[in-house]
Amino acid sequence: MQATVGDRIVIRGHRVGEPDRDCKILEVHGQDGGPPYVVQWEDSEHESLFFPGSDASVVHYEKSSG
Amino acid sequence: MRTIDGVRRSGVGIAPDRTITEAAKIMEVAAVGSLAVVDGEELVGIVTDRDLVRRGLAARLSPEARVDSVMSTPVVTIDAAADLHGAFTLFRTHAVRRVAVVRDGRFVGMITIDDLLIDLAADLADLARPVTAEVLFGHHDAPVPAVG
Repeated sequence: MQATVGDRIVIRGHRVGEPDRDCKILEVHGQDGGPPYVVQWEDSEHESLFFPGSDASVVHYEKSSG
Repeated sequence: MRTIDGVRRSGVGIAPDRTITEAAKIMEVAAVGSLAVVDGEELVGIVTDRDLVRRGLAARLSPEARVDSVMSTPVVTIDAAADLHGAFTLFRTHAVRRVAVVRDGRFVGMITIDDLLIDLAADLADLARPVTAEVLFGHHDAPVPAVG
């Protein structure tokens, strides 16, 4: 996985009825945009280290133009 | 199969000087039952939801107690490139439910008994299907060719 600050990571739920989880990347600690990342979890102020697995996908942040 | 290929879930980490309350909140929002305790780049322990209950809540620790006061250490680890069956041996010999996966000594994920059981159950179901089908629907013999 490659990501930059501002990107979001979506983690799919593992159980029936379990919602997907979402977090925002605050820091990139790996080389060339690789993990681990410091993330802030959706709808909370809590931050943690994150080591993405096969259940995670990155949504790249796009700056608005103009 | 390599161990890293058997890891189904992303890993979540926390610094050792964070509080057990923060650890609990992170487990809740991240929907995980354990956190890798990482000091800089070094894996120094694992804290589980069970650790928070038994060593934190039951021991009447302050909600501000540090994570490293309740974590399990040393950590049982396996290299990401090692054969997955090596993890089976670690689960048996160490009587743990989770093993930390490392690459070049750094934490990259967690492999759990639950994940392995789910994969094994799927494989067993695939093997059982033709057997149950034979019991339920009978054996289909190829027609015997006519002779003469």
